[in-house]
Amino acid sequence: MLKNVLPNLIRLTKIFSLFSILSGEINIYSHRHYDSDKILFKKFTQQTGIKVNVVKGSADQLIQRLVTEGENSPADILLTVDAGRLERAKKMGILQSIDSKILRKNVPQLMRDPDNNWFGLTVRARVIVYAKDRVKPTDLSTYEALAEPQWKGRIAVRSSNNIYNQSLLASILAANGSDSALSWAKSVRGNMARSPRGSDRDQARIVASGLADIAIMNTYYLGVMSNSPDITDQEVAKKLGVFFPNQDGRGVHINVSGAGVTASSKNKKEAIQFLEFLTSKNSQEVFAKENYEYPLKVRKNKSKLLKSWGKFKYDQLQLSILGDNNTDAVKIFDKAGWE
Amino acid sequence: MKTLLALNGITKEYSGKKKAAVSNISFELQKGEIVTILGSSGSGKTTLLRIIAGLEIPDAGNITLDEKVINSPSIFIPPEKRNCSLVFQSYALFPNMTVKENIFFGKQSRENLEVINELITMTNIQEIQNRFPHQISGGQQQRVALVRALAINPSLLLLDEPLSHLDQDLKTKIRSELSDLFHKSETTTLIVSHDMEDAMSISDRIIIIEEGEVVQIGTPLEVYNYPTNRYSALLFGESNFIPKNMFSENCEHFFDTKSDQDVVSVRPSQFSLFNTNSSNDKLVIEGEVISVNILGDYKQVEIKRNQFILKINLPILFDVKISDFLKFVCDKEAK
Amino acid sequence: MFSLFICILIFTPIALVALQFNNNTENWDHIQQTVLTTYIFSTLILVLSTAILSTFIGVTCAWLVACCEFPGRKFFEWTLILPLTIPTYIAAYSYYDLLEMFTPMMIWIRSNFSPESMIYFNDIMVYLVTSLVMTSVLFPYVYLSTRASFLMQGNQLIEAAKTLGHKPSNIFWKVALPMARPAIIAGLSLVVMETLNDYGAVEYFGIPTFTIGIFRSWLGMNDMGSALKLSSYLLFFVFFILYIEKYFRGEAKFHQKNDSSRTYSPNLLKGKYSILAIFFCLLPLCLGFIIPITRLLFWASSVSGSFFDITFFQVIFNSIGLASVSSLLIVTLATILIFTSSYFQSKIVKVANQFAILGYSMPGAVVAMGFLLIAGYINQSMGYLLTGTLISLTFAYLVRFLAVAWQPIDSGMEKKCDQINQASRILGNSALISMFKLNLPLLKKSIIVAVLLIFVDIFKELPLTLILRPFNFDTLATLTYDLNSQAQLHESAIPALLIILVTIPPIIFLNNQLDDRL
Repeated sequence: MLKNVLPNLIRLTKIFSLFSILSGEINIYSHRHYDSDKILFKKFTQQTGIKVNVVKGSADQLIQRLVTEGENSPADILLTVDAGRLERAKKMGILQSIDSKILRKNVPQLMRDPDNNWFGLTVRARVIVYAKDRVKPTDLSTYEALAEPQWKGRIAVRSSNNIYNQSLLASILAANGSDSALSWAKSVRGNMARSPRGSDRDQARIVASGLADIAIMNTYYLGVMSNSPDITDQEVAKKLGVFFPNQDGRGVHINVSGAGVTASSKNKKEAIQFLEFLTSKNSQEVFAKENYEYPLKVRKNKSKLLKSWGKFKYDQLQLSILGDNNTDAVKIFDKAGWE
Repeated sequence: MKTLLALNGITKEYSGKKKAAVSNISFELQKGEIVTILGSSGSGKTTLLRIIAGLEIPDAGNITLDEKVINSPSIFIPPEKRNCSLVFQSYALFPNMTVKENIFFGKQSRENLEVINELITMTNIQEIQNRFPHQISGGQQQRVALVRALAINPSLLLLDEPLSHLDQDLKTKIRSELSDLFHKSETTTLIVSHDMEDAMSISDRIIIIEEGEVVQIGTPLEVYNYPTNRYSALLFGESNFIPKNMFSENCEHFFDTKSDQDVVSVRPSQFSLFNTNSSNDKLVIEGEVISVNILGDYKQVEIKRNQFILKINLPILFDVKISDFLKFVCDKEAK
Repeated sequence: MFSLFICILIFTPIALVALQFNNNTENWDHIQQTVLTTYIFSTLILVLSTAILSTFIGVTCAWLVACCEFPGRKFFEWTLILPLTIPTYIAAYSYYDLLEMFTPMMIWIRSNFSPESMIYFNDIMVYLVTSLVMTSVLFPYVYLSTRASFLMQGNQLIEAAKTLGHKPSNIFWKVALPMARPAIIAGLSLVVMETLNDYGAVEYFGIPTFTIGIFRSWLGMNDMGSALKLSSYLLFFVFFILYIEKYFRGEAKFHQKNDSSRTYSPNLLKGKYSILAIFFCLLPLCLGFIIPITRLLFWASSVSGSFFDITFFQVIFNSIGLASVSSLLIVTLATILIFTSSYFQSKIVKVANQFAILGYSMPGAVVAMGFLLIAGYINQSMGYLLTGTLISLTFAYLVRFLAVAWQPIDSGMEKKCDQINQASRILGNSALISMFKLNLPLLKKSIIVAVLLIFVDIFKELPLTLILRPFNFDTLATLTYDLNSQAQLHESAIPALLIILVTIPPIIFLNNQLDDRL
């Protein structure tokens, strides 16, 4: 019975499954859901005639899906935020090494995998945001200083489920070692104004509302908020200042959103073409303009808003290390009781 | 006569219960016979019926119907392929079908058109053929269920408490109808009941079961008069259990576990007042009246003699008071 | 044979998860030492507080609507079920800023007491607000079952209590409430299951429940083994609840026989009591329906027309198509399964069924994981890809929602068809004839009810669809989630409203069905 049923079932599923292996198409598993991406995908199709299919989903689920799908996966590109995740995807063997001069040129070394399995596309800085009316920038110095008792009940940060926090801790772990990373996480958790929850944007709102005085968040969210159609969001953004920590030391923690070509890709040529297109100068400007992310060449950014936050020094840590330290970082969060 | 149904060592247990629902039951049914399985509720009689119908599978034993094995450790004929029919206690009429559709729902019913029409006439349900089950009375439902069961011309008809849903008047009427019908159609019938009146009036033989075991098999008069244990005796109403050694002649007796001796069952109606014509070989009992009850068209008195109390029925007009002394003779004959 | 095959198929994902209970994984020691107690306690606190709140609101409303008379009672009778149309994750979105309302109070506490007391107070508020939001849309489960029980009790016992000189309040506590207990527990168990199943709302409010823990270990620590093990813990928790429910339901059969008199004389509430009653019914209705709907409408009204492009209509079409096809398929299978188990009295099928219907009590995320495990095996052994197809999604729905179809059809079958099928067999008819000529016509209503219930459930379903959906495929639920995670709150109100709107008619229809049956 099983012998008869299975082939039929499989035939039936094949009709239903909507993937395509026609040339002139690429299939993307994407965690990013920004207008900037939509614009760029459209541009790419206009320029090359290659159709872009997208499955959106949370990155972790998409990675899991790629693993289960194995060689049969229809995806050509995994597009996601956070270097730690990309590194994990690489370790799970779902990406492949790409040899492209253009990509090597466009993407600074620390923002791509040493084995060229993945490449950064945009840069985001995880900074300290403060309430302009209650906190002087001179009160702030480093991430490490947030552990001090003067911040008791004044900090807003989101949950440790969030990959940006995991990567931030991974960078602190790389800089200071695991013992001091743990005591840092413990102290910061103790200093929080409320148990961690919500998005980066919510942290900004909490600071604006007065419940907390400072927040750890990514810069581009502030950009999105100050250009939001929602007036309350604009007002929140107006109340906040951006502080780049650790300027006298290793520099502010940065991260990338990036992409890699999947190991199972059936449209490798088009996929590489697509990555090259996204790292090109024009595309980089679109990312900065539409989504307030820093371009790969951070200092060459032309966006007015981004410039207004000032120039900054950033951590030169090879970003793939964020992935190496990820599991340890999550465990430290667990030990520190940072939900 | 030919054996139609034979049960051999049928046993069925339900998980979680200590005692088997039906245990090692064997009996035979002759063709054309009407037999009632009599037992109190919970004695396993309905389970037995369902096993014969094929609705439950026994743990052990064989059943042969019409010389075909329908149950054995290796054979199980599903209910739809056994040539027997069952009338359910609550009739199980299909609520979405008319009476006629119900009757003709059986698989071979179309082939028995003539018989069915005769049955319909006989049971007087022509008028209601186009009504739905909920539009007809209980007695009518009963008859429809019966006709439906007979419509497939079964070699064996099973009835589960056929009269329990009917009121007293209807019961008496249908009882005689049933027995007429079965005898006319020569259908071998097995009835399950807890009502001794049903059993006495309809059946050729009665099988008594207690806690899943056969206690006695016999004609209605046999089981009424000569029960083989206390349970069997009490199924047919009240009885006095008199120690066997009080009788001079050898009466039909059984060993009673309750009083731990051989006893003879004597019904309250099996006594008469002692008079000079009374035979001297019979058991004579004298005692004091301790209670008088009027029960319908007779009086029942309780007589105390030494340590034990007897119940005796007397004509309603007989004048008797408490603390009278009376002398009775036991009419019970040896078998 | 076919039924057994289906049962095993459905049972597999659950069994695979349960088998993980004793499986030691790399991070398990770490989880056990650090976060396991957090998961257990926060889950327990949330479940308990939601259960208590739901019981309080659900039972009181049921009592008022079923046993009292006050202006607007008829209106509340059916409107109080409307919160069921709002999935917990949408309720959470619509109340996203509820916690922020307490900010001034928090600041006041900080300045007048200490930062510590503020943090402490804040933690309490999180649980309170989350369970309140959950309760506001889940309490109708308790309301529905309890009201049914109050109505079914009939008036005889209550009148008997009155003649014995008891006050209405006394009768409520001493007679009506104890008798409604099995019904309350039944409704409550649904509330608990839904709370355990929720991912969207707890994520939003930052409560580290088991479901969050499962996602964290699976995706965050990349340790599927630990995630599965956590799922198995959750599964045993669910078993425990099911056991309690069954234990109390045992008595319910006894209670339901008392539905003798339906002429019923409600307590007439007057003056301030009737105003209190109106207020008490209005409050949950506002919290669970009117306020969320109004806010969503308000947000939706600010969205520009360009939002309604072809892709949006495609999404609507997807949702309706997927939900209809899947619900029909699931109900067909359920009917066949129940029929075979009733018709052949097969014990194996019955036991297998019991396990298969566990799917509903399992959080969608757990089902998805079990499914991914199977898909992985199939992919490795046969080289065929099951993920990302509609077939796989439908199958996952089947695992999750079979129980929803089970309940109405099985009770209908038990009540109407068990003996009927036996009678039909005795008359020599085949199984197919019995099924088509007797069972389908008799079960028509139950089947419609089952289809609608599942349709509503699938229409709202989020976690399974999110994980298993195919390429370029969005439903209204996933669109709501996506838009929301992009912080497009206003746009996400539109699919959210559509979900609610589409589910209102079936829910009202189901409610009427329920009333007819009483």
